[in-house]
Amino acid sequence: MNPPPSSTESLPLGLAPAGTVHVHHDHHEVGFIRKYIFSTDHKVIGIQFMFTGLVFLVLGGLLAMAIRWQLAYPWTEMPVVGKMLFPETGRVISPEFYTSLFTMHGTVMIFFVIIPLLTGAFGNFLIPLMIGAPDMAFPKLNMFGYWAMAPAMFFLLLGFGAEGGGPAAGWTAYPPLSTVLEAAPGSMSGQTFWLLALTWVGISSMMGAVNYVTTIAKMRAPGMTIFRMPLSIWALLISAILQLFALPVLTAASFMQLFDRVLHTGFFTPPDIIINNASADYSVADPEAASAAGGHPLLWQHLFWFYSHPAVYIMVLPAMGFASDIISVHARKPVFGYKPMVYSMAGIAGLGFIVWGHHMFTSGMNPTVGMVFMVSTVMIALPSAIKVFNWIGTLWGSRIRLTTPMLYAMGFVSMFIIGGLSGIWMAATPVDVYIHDTYIVVAHFHYVVFAGSVFAIFAAIYHWFPKMFGRLMNETIGKIHFFGTFLFTNGVFYMMHQLGVAGLMRRTADPYSYETYAHLQPLNEAISMFAFALFAWQVFFVWNFFHSMFWGKRIGRNPWQANSLEWDTPSPPGHGNFDHQLEVFRGPYEYASPQVEEDYLPQTRKV
Amino acid sequence: MTGFPAYVARVLFTVLFVLVPILGVWTFVTADDYGWWFPQNVSTFGPKIDALFDLILWMVAFTFVLTEGALVWCVYWYSKPRTSKAVFSHGNHKLEMVWTAVPAVLLLVIAFAQMGTWAEIKFTANMGLDENGEPGQYTVEAPMMEIYASQFDWRARYPDRDGNFNGIDVVESPYDIYVPVDTPVVFHLKSRDVLHAFFVPQFRLKQDAVPGMTIPVWFNAQEVGSYDLICAELCGWGHYKMAGRVHVLPKDEYEAWLEGQREALYANGSADLAE
Amino acid sequence: MTPMSPTRATLIVAAASLGTLLGCKLEPETPELRYSLSDKVLNDPDGEEYASDSIAQDQLRGALEMLFGTPSNPGFLLTEDMLDEGFDPNFGSDELSEAEWEALIADNSDRFADDIAHIEAGEFDDVRLPREALSLLSYWEETMDEIADLEQALADAEAGGEDEDGDPLDAEGAQADLDEAIAAVKADWPEELRNYYPSLRDSSEMFRTQCIHCHGVEGGGNGPTAEYLKPLPRDYRNGIFKFTSVANKARPTRSDLFRVLARGIYTTSMPSFRRFSDAQLHGLVDYVRLLSIRGRVEILGALDYDIDSGGITMESVLTAYADEWEEWLGAGENVIAYEGDVPAPDDIVPGTNRTMIEHGRELFKDESSANCASCHGTNYRGNGPSSKERDPETGEMVQITDDWGNPIEPRDLTRGIFRFGRRPIDVFRRVHAGINGTPMPAQTTLTDAEGNRLLSDDDLWAITHFVRSLSTHEQVVATQDEEAGH
Repeated sequence: MNPPPSSTESLPLGLAPAGTVHVHHDHHEVGFIRKYIFSTDHKVIGIQFMFTGLVFLVLGGLLAMAIRWQLAYPWTEMPVVGKMLFPETGRVISPEFYTSLFTMHGTVMIFFVIIPLLTGAFGNFLIPLMIGAPDMAFPKLNMFGYWAMAPAMFFLLLGFGAEGGGPAAGWTAYPPLSTVLEAAPGSMSGQTFWLLALTWVGISSMMGAVNYVTTIAKMRAPGMTIFRMPLSIWALLISAILQLFALPVLTAASFMQLFDRVLHTGFFTPPDIIINNASADYSVADPEAASAAGGHPLLWQHLFWFYSHPAVYIMVLPAMGFASDIISVHARKPVFGYKPMVYSMAGIAGLGFIVWGHHMFTSGMNPTVGMVFMVSTVMIALPSAIKVFNWIGTLWGSRIRLTTPMLYAMGFVSMFIIGGLSGIWMAATPVDVYIHDTYIVVAHFHYVVFAGSVFAIFAAIYHWFPKMFGRLMNETIGKIHFFGTFLFTNGVFYMMHQLGVAGLMRRTADPYSYETYAHLQPLNEAISMFAFALFAWQVFFVWNFFHSMFWGKRIGRNPWQANSLEWDTPSPPGHGNFDHQLEVFRGPYEYASPQVEEDYLPQTRKV
Repeated sequence: MTGFPAYVARVLFTVLFVLVPILGVWTFVTADDYGWWFPQNVSTFGPKIDALFDLILWMVAFTFVLTEGALVWCVYWYSKPRTSKAVFSHGNHKLEMVWTAVPAVLLLVIAFAQMGTWAEIKFTANMGLDENGEPGQYTVEAPMMEIYASQFDWRARYPDRDGNFNGIDVVESPYDIYVPVDTPVVFHLKSRDVLHAFFVPQFRLKQDAVPGMTIPVWFNAQEVGSYDLICAELCGWGHYKMAGRVHVLPKDEYEAWLEGQREALYANGSADLAE
Repeated sequence: MTPMSPTRATLIVAAASLGTLLGCKLEPETPELRYSLSDKVLNDPDGEEYASDSIAQDQLRGALEMLFGTPSNPGFLLTEDMLDEGFDPNFGSDELSEAEWEALIADNSDRFADDIAHIEAGEFDDVRLPREALSLLSYWEETMDEIADLEQALADAEAGGEDEDGDPLDAEGAQADLDEAIAAVKADWPEELRNYYPSLRDSSEMFRTQCIHCHGVEGGGNGPTAEYLKPLPRDYRNGIFKFTSVANKARPTRSDLFRVLARGIYTTSMPSFRRFSDAQLHGLVDYVRLLSIRGRVEILGALDYDIDSGGITMESVLTAYADEWEEWLGAGENVIAYEGDVPAPDDIVPGTNRTMIEHGRELFKDESSANCASCHGTNYRGNGPSSKERDPETGEMVQITDDWGNPIEPRDLTRGIFRFGRRPIDVFRRVHAGINGTPMPAQTTLTDAEGNRLLSDDDLWAITHFVRSLSTHEQVVATQDEEAGH
């Protein structure tokens, strides 16, 4: 082992030169608050993101349960919520409450669960560990990145109690419903809080993205060339770049919407419209007023989807990276086609910027433009397909260890196939004319984001939990958790395809009074039963998580016999991560290598 | 480390993974028996949309069974306890080329197969053409009706006898929209307030109504009957109750209905007198 | 893994928690509702004594429950007069005209077409009745239970079962019984469905699922959604309905209410409910009438509160009940209809050389007669000088209010939106009778010194046609030209 470098103290910004490692730190004692709350340690911040993400996952799940109750048994006594909020109408929810339920469900799950868990929690925890850095490039910025989520959460929760109830224009917040205060109860103050929450989430993501890109670019250990980086790191890098380029557009758009709401700028409001007998064009209501709306509702849709479609890939690329790594470790076999995997992720990211218009095929957009978007959208299926084939290629001829993380990672592949394939219908413009905004779309994106990303998150938690807490999660309970989760997830989402083919619209509080939909109630009831079971089944996870944190089996550095750098540290790693000098000799996937007797060959072992 | 006895886990999870393709295919095959499939199809471009859906369905189903099958095989076969190491392979260039090129071609085929139907539905040049491609009675410039969407109301407006939509004797019909059968119907879709979407599942037709825009839409209904009109874009708390009904009438009945409405405009109210 | 491992304990606890969660009551329940007393009455400045007398409130609540039941079991108490006349308001079906019945049966046949076909084909499992039709559903369930019993009996007999005495069961007899029952269903039920008319209980359920979140349990226009709507939902309890075909501020006719349910009120949050059957809408009319009468009786009863005579007396409540019924049943006599043909917009007004539209324009701005412009404005946009009034306290100009105390804007006539309908007769009725509960006056009440009407029916038609023409393109252009001084 090499001696530690003489001094890193003189370097600015806490940047460690590539490959330098604090072998023994000056053990400055930090208090509880600095260590666990306002910490600049990337591992603590990652775990903080994980805890808040999981708490919000429960909240988002509860909102989903309320939605499922209404869809199974419209206008009956809703348990708990009805009692608390609607005693005077017999504990039956009101329709505007339903609209804010699905708005908040979408917002919470996307902006407070999936993105923070994937990039916030695992991005923070893994990047320095996997590339061999002592911490992030900008540790303080990293801390601010987490604490920027605090105002976001504050405004989000404030939205629930806002005058008129929670924001209710859908997570897509299409104007004029969202911009005109009188258009919906949730568009009173709730929508303003929603926009503020979103802006703070954006600030947090932006700080994270800057940090990730810089860290990966500048702080890799000696020998860690970019094509020796694990696919998780590639995925996090690419999604950080997506964030950097797409987020400013959303931030600008949400400020424009905010201005429309509070200053009546009318960016998204066409002239001369009256909503709920209030003029949206303030020059009509008050001829003295100088403002006259001259905007267009479709402008918001373009701006919103210019961010939110890449955001879909931000929500799935890291999941793909984690799945690749976890599959390779537990299959004891190198990733099949490492470079094609990298290029396909880059391809997804590149194409991801020119497919946003497929959300707008029925919006009144120029149909010729629609054709162009169709071709780009259809082609984005290609890199996803390549990835699936490569995962199966990785499994082929492998020696699978059926551990819980492996089951979740393979579950991710299985579910992503469904989510990916059903996307082709949505890309096909004439078919989309019929299925746009039906339950087939709901099925599609839940297969990608829930059955895909959340499964990958579960896989990642089971896989890296030992590194985070130095203890294994219980395998038996983990398998029970997987079994039910996998079964019920399909129970919930699979038949939504059929609902969609039958034409059922999403965001409809009570579809059964339509002749076309009346016969779909039994199917929705069954789906709701599966949903309740799925939610209840997570008891196993919660129990396993907390129980293992304190009483799980203690393990050493490398319980999975994995190759990448994070397993070369103590579990959990101390401040500064690595306790010895690092040098990387090879890529992270040298499993079953004939060079050594064991079936794994860590990146740092010299042969 | 695996918790369960190894063989139990192996069989259990293989079965679990194999359920996905089996139940997946089975639900699609049997959905129609339960009525959980396409509703009746009455417009001229509807069958084309369904055919394109089916085309994709077949391709998707093939890929689905293939990939899920391979995955299940891996889960079962390669989780078998073995003493030997895994195959040491970092990939195969030729294989990568094949599974890039083949899907690419298939995807392009899918994309180009859509374009004709898309143009038929959406391009204004194709609106209102009859089966022979000749201009029909109604055109984008002189539509049969205007449909106004507003929170939470659908309202058709038919022109007066001079074909004028701004005339004093325009016929307005809330909720119920009447159209002639076997006629290319062109109408202008408008919104008074927020976004709405005109969706008639049986016509396979969906189009957003955007305030500030006049969007021409067309369809040609082939069967007499009444069909649900559903708002397909979130438009506020009452979105779910924003319903309408499109009544497809034989041509002469439609003419008679419209004439009847024009006359009924000048009713003197005596029908409301108590008997 | 040792038997005492924490894993096992964990498993047991997790499984137990899961069991508890899944075991939660997941069966949906239709809530039991009660009518509450009106806040408005309790907060009325004149009703201070009543508001502080909880016994009197209980008396009134009891009396109202006796007269009208509860939302879960609504029904009118029959008075002696009703019994004498053979009038039973619990069956609104009796009040339909021949034509309405025919339309209702045709509509039912259409809506139940699939169910009728299933019944006639013996496919009883595929029958799907409307979820709000509680009485129909329970009758259907009863019928199906009977059939299930008979099928069970047949199965027992065929399996060689024995009766109590040990004799073999009569399989043939059981088969015959079953066939007979099925034949009866096939014969009776199609007719049952075609003639379906909802009970008040069915309509109360309809009201609960479709109306309550705006109109509230008692029809007070105060459901949870109400406060966000502009205009506010109707409070039935005053007995005042805006959009009617009647004069003299009479109660609406049944067909007025039906029309509102079927067509909605344009540009308000009241949508069309025509996706429900004619029968269900007629049922809702019955129920709205019940709520309205209940509300009026509550108000009248509370106003009659007299501490010296024992608080609320049954006598005063019953009087109010009878009076209110009389009002409702007499509504039809006040319908505004015009004898003869409606004049056309271009007809010359008798006694002038102007067309209807030209004459209407004169009257619209004539300060000595109709003077519509004072509220609706000389540019017809509803912003005339009288649309605002001075607040006596602050001295600021504020919007005028309606009888419910809410700010109200005169209609912007250039938008072509007429909430009660845009036929000439609809607009004529508004000009003729005004709009109940609002500052819009009945033009027929304008009289000169001798008590003669200032405006003849022809004048009203002229205003009608002029107002209708305002939204047409040419007229708007002409109006703008006129304003610009051309």
